[in-house]
Amino acid sequence: MGIARTLGVAMTAALLTALPASAQQLTIWHDLGDNGVAWFERAGAEFAKTRPGVTVRSVSYPTDQWFGRVISAINTNTAPDLIFNNYERVIRIQSQTNRVADLRSALAEVADKSFLGEDDLRVATFRDRMIILPVQRVQMAFGMRKSWLDKVGEPFPDTWEDVKRVAAKFRDNDPDGNGRADTFGMALQAARPRDLIHMLDLFVFGSGLRHTLIDPAGQITIEQPAHAQVLEEFLKTYSEYRFVAPDTINHSFTEMYQVIQGGRGGMFRVGDWNVRGWDAPASLGGDFVSGPWPKFAANRDNAVVIGGMRGVAVPENSPNRVLATEFAKFLLGKEAQQASLELVGAGVRKDLNVDALSPRQQYFARAQHRLVAYDFPESIHTFYPELEAAFHRKLLQGLAAPPRDWKPFIAETAREMRELAQRLARN
Amino acid sequence: MIDRVWQHRVFYALVLPFAALTGVFGLWPIVLSIQVSFTQSATALGSSPVYVGFANYAVVLADPIFLASLTRTLTYTALAVAANLAFALGMAVLIDSPRLARGSMLFRLALFLPVVTPDVAGYVVWRWLFDRSFGPINAALELAGLPAFGGLSSTHTVTTAVLIAELWHHAGFYMTIFLANLAMRDKALEEAAQIDGANAWQIWWRVILPQLRPAIVVNLVYATVQFLKTFTVVVVMTKGGPADSTNFISYYAYQLFDQGRYGEATAMASILFAIVIVLSLGAFRLTDRAGAR
Repeated sequence: MGIARTLGVAMTAALLTALPASAQQLTIWHDLGDNGVAWFERAGAEFAKTRPGVTVRSVSYPTDQWFGRVISAINTNTAPDLIFNNYERVIRIQSQTNRVADLRSALAEVADKSFLGEDDLRVATFRDRMIILPVQRVQMAFGMRKSWLDKVGEPFPDTWEDVKRVAAKFRDNDPDGNGRADTFGMALQAARPRDLIHMLDLFVFGSGLRHTLIDPAGQITIEQPAHAQVLEEFLKTYSEYRFVAPDTINHSFTEMYQVIQGGRGGMFRVGDWNVRGWDAPASLGGDFVSGPWPKFAANRDNAVVIGGMRGVAVPENSPNRVLATEFAKFLLGKEAQQASLELVGAGVRKDLNVDALSPRQQYFARAQHRLVAYDFPESIHTFYPELEAAFHRKLLQGLAAPPRDWKPFIAETAREMRELAQRLARN
Repeated sequence: MIDRVWQHRVFYALVLPFAALTGVFGLWPIVLSIQVSFTQSATALGSSPVYVGFANYAVVLADPIFLASLTRTLTYTALAVAANLAFALGMAVLIDSPRLARGSMLFRLALFLPVVTPDVAGYVVWRWLFDRSFGPINAALELAGLPAFGGLSSTHTVTTAVLIAELWHHAGFYMTIFLANLAMRDKALEEAAQIDGANAWQIWWRVILPQLRPAIVVNLVYATVQFLKTFTVVVVMTKGGPADSTNFISYYAYQLFDQGRYGEATAMASILFAIVIVLSLGAFRLTDRAGAR
C-alpha cells in the first residue's frame, strides 16, 4: 500500500511538473545580442500578463549566422515562431524562401498605430507584402571620442573639411596621450560587400544625397558631380588620407568594433543600439559624442541617417503562427516599446518616457537632428544585391591598388555598373 | 561467394559497424551534397525539392568570380604543396641527421606543436603578427630600417602571408611522415653506395630519395587535398580579401551557402570534389608508374 501511495504521489508530482511544459512557448531569433535578449525577456513577461502560460524565448545569433540559420530553418519547416532583424535582411529571407507571412491584416488590427508614418510602412513592405511589423527605427549618427576632441582642441566637425582636419589631428597628435603613434582618425570597415557600401551609404545619405549607386529610374548616380565628390573623398579616406588603420581593407564589423572599443579610432558610426553598451564603464564609458554626418557642400543639409526599420516577422510555417502574430502586434504597445527604448535604444512610438536615458541615448530618442532615410533600392530593383556586390568588388580593387587620380576610376566604375545594371534588368 | 563470406564471417562482422558508419557519416553527406547541387536553392532543403538539372553548374561555370577563384585556388595549392613538402622534407632530413641527434626531440616537438594547436587560435595570432599598425613583424622591420611588409592588407603580399601561416600549421605533420619513412629506410644501401665511391649528393639523390617515395606520395596527396580546401585561414585572417586575392573556392562557396544559394554553393563544392578526386588519383597513378620504373 505504501509503495502504491509513493508511486501515486510521484506520478502526480511528475504530471504537475510536466504541465508548464505543455504551455505555449514562442521562440524568436534575432541578432541584437544581450540587449535584445533582455528586451524580449521583459516584453515576454509583459505579454504573459495577458496570456498566462505563454513564455517567450529569444535566441541571438551573429548577423551572418542568423541569415543561414533562418533560411535553412524556414526551408526545412523547422522555423522559429518569429524572426527579428533589419528590413533589408528580412527581404533577403523572403527572397530566398518566399515564406515570410504578410502582416497587413495584423497591422490593421492594431488600434494605436498613428506613430507609424507612410515611410515606415513603405519600408516594411516588399512586393506588396508587409514582411515586418516595424518596431524600431534604426538611427546611425557620426560619433567622436569626446576626450580626443577636447585634447586636440576641436569642436564637433560640421563640414568634410573639418572632419579631415580633426582626423589628421587624431592620427598625428597622440589624442589618447599614451606617447605612441597608435591612433587613427576613423574606424571604418570594408571586407565584405555590405561592409564597404554600408559605410559609403552613411556618408552619402548623411550629406543629404538620396542614392548611393542607382536611382529609382535605374540611372547610375555615382558619376554625378555631388555623388562623385563624396565617393572620391570616401575612397581617399581609406587610401591617401591614411585616416583608417592600414588593415581596414580586411576589417569587418568585429574588427571595426575592436578599433572603436579598443580606443584606436577617433571617429566612427554610432548606431542607436550601440549607445547602451558604449555608455558602460567596461567599454567607452560614455566617452563619445554623436552628431550628424558631415556636410560636403554648404548648400546641402547634413543629417543623421535612418538605416531602415527593424521589425518582427512571422514565417508562414511558424509553429504557433496565431500567437506569434499576437506577440508581434504586442511589440508595438507602449510597455514593449518602452522596454525596447531602454534596453536596445530604439522604438517607434512618440509617447515614450526618455527622461531616464543617458544624454547620448536621448540624442537618438529625441531625434535631435534632421533625419534622412536610406533609399532601399532593393525594394525597387530586384537585381540590386548583385549590382551592389559588383560595385563593392570594383571599389575594393581600387582600394587595393589606389589610382593616382580617382576621377577616371569613378567614371570607369560608373560605366561598368551601368552596363551590368542593364544586363541584370534584362535578365 | 556466400561460402567465402561465411568463411570470413568474423572479419565481416567486425568490419560491418565501421563500414556502416563510413557510409552514413562519410559517403551519405557527399551524395546529399551532389543531390542538392541539382536542385533549385529555395526548395533544396525542403521535403519536395525542385530539380533543375545542370542549371546550377551552368550558372557557376559562367560566373567570372568562380573561374577566377578556381584559378587562384589551383595556383595557391601548387605553391602551398611545393612549399610545405620542400620545407617538411628539409626539416626531416636535418632532424634525422646524426649531428642533431641530441636536440632531435626538441626540434620534433617544436615543429609538431603547431599541428596540434587549434587552427583558429594560431591564425588569430598570425593575423596579429602581420597587423600593419601594431604587429611585431613590421615593428621589427622598422627597427631594422627595412621597408614595411604589406602582410594581409596588400594584394601583392597576402598570398605569401597566408602561405607562411599555413606552413607553420601544417608542415610539422608532413615532416613527421617523412621522418617515419627516413627511419624505415635501408641504411645498408647508403654504406654500399659509399663503398662504391658515391658522393653525398649522389647518395641522397639516388639512394635515399627513392626510398622516400611512400612518404612523398602520401604527403603529396594529403597536402593537395588539404590546400584545395583552404578555408579556415581565410575566414580568420582575410575574409577572402583584399580585393578577392584570397577568395578561394571553399570560401566563395561558403559565402553563397550563407546567402541561401545552396544549389550554386553545392555545385561549386561538387566541382571542387571532382578536382580533388582527379588530382589525387592522378598523383597516385603517376607515382605508381614512377615506382614501377
